[in-house]
Amino acid sequence: MADRAEWQSAVEAEVRALGRELDVPPATDLATAVRRRLEGPAVRRGPLVMQRVGTLRRWRPAWRAALIVVAALLAVLLATPQGRAVIIHVFRFAGIELRQEPGPARSAGSGASLPGERRMSLEQARHQVSFPILVPAALGQPSEVVVSDGGRVASLTYRRTPYGEVRMDEFAGHLDPLVFQKFVHFGHVTEVEVNGFKGMWIKGPHELIYITRDGAPATASARLTTGNTLIWGTRQVALRLEGNFGKTAALAIASSAH
Amino acid sequence: MLVARYTLRAHRAAFLLGAGEESDDVVQEAFVKAFRHLSRFRVGEPFGPWLLRIVTNETKNLTRLRRRRTALTLRLSAADSGGTAADGPVDEVLAAERRARLLAAVNVLPDRERQVLVCRYFLDLSEAETAQVLDWPLGSVKSRTSRALNRLRGLLVAGQQDGVSRG
Repeated sequence: MADRAEWQSAVEAEVRALGRELDVPPATDLATAVRRRLEGPAVRRGPLVMQRVGTLRRWRPAWRAALIVVAALLAVLLATPQGRAVIIHVFRFAGIELRQEPGPARSAGSGASLPGERRMSLEQARHQVSFPILVPAALGQPSEVVVSDGGRVASLTYRRTPYGEVRMDEFAGHLDPLVFQKFVHFGHVTEVEVNGFKGMWIKGPHELIYITRDGAPATASARLTTGNTLIWGTRQVALRLEGNFGKTAALAIASSAH
Repeated sequence: MLVARYTLRAHRAAFLLGAGEESDDVVQEAFVKAFRHLSRFRVGEPFGPWLLRIVTNETKNLTRLRRRRTALTLRLSAADSGGTAADGPVDEVLAAERRARLLAAVNVLPDRERQVLVCRYFLDLSEAETAQVLDWPLGSVKSRTSRALNRLRGLLVAGQQDGVSRG
């Protein structure tokens, strides 16, 4: 038996080594082609499935099925009001990028954290960041204030509210184009207004990841949000408010932030 | 971003599983299907194996439509084959010969055994990931892997004896 295991692993090693020497032609960059097919105009393109004419014939059955799927999807999208909001695939707003695609596998449990988190008082926090920290009067004083990544983000946590735990992240989203990425279904996003500023209401949990200053996703920050989320920006700060509230309550909390 | 991150791996999988020069088409199709069927994707599940499973199914569809054998003859990359090795020291020549023989053996394996070897050793997937990608029970992955290795060993040993008797 030991002998068997031994020769098996020897053959395994040889097969693995062989794999490294196989001739595999280079892959084409497909991002543009895929995006083009996924966005609305898919239908305008007509015969849409295969880009290379040579393969069209062989693929016809698959393509007919795909057309049916597209037609069905369009019917659903056009029939629902949220559907009309689905215009683009990636959307940036107030330092947050909304993407309609699956997010990175999130870290298990609630252990997710932003880089360099430091707990401090609200007063100390105000000295650590370059933007004004807004506090929602409707919720009162936060249970915890954390400043992350050398003052790039300030997070207020309210442990006990009528809406469960509520979290508010604040950052210079008007200057910094990319602080968070959210992987959402655009059908769950609606435009709102907070004190005259544009905002987005995102219904339901979605994956969230922090993007560092050099544009790299911070894997340890990836997590699934709870409840619903409201994001909005003022001239000096961008905010994301997350908790188990409905849209009306969230808007009330947001407009009380000064 | 997601497309860029997974293209290379998906393309390698499609090619080695038999899509050949149509690998780009297969991968493009797989991405589009993956995004259109996002609702079937469970959040938190790794995206890679899920995508590779769609790639595998697309490759199977393609080879079925082609009405030809799944087997695409795999080759060694130019740098490693023939020419250079033949001019090298004797053990390099022997190693190159052994690799060529192993490759020939892989090329004639039954489809399923080839598929399992491709997933496990050419794509470096775990047994569990292979089961997910090929949509087989874990037990089948184990038994087919073991059968395939056994067969390769048999072919290698036979080849060696062949070489000796001829030499």
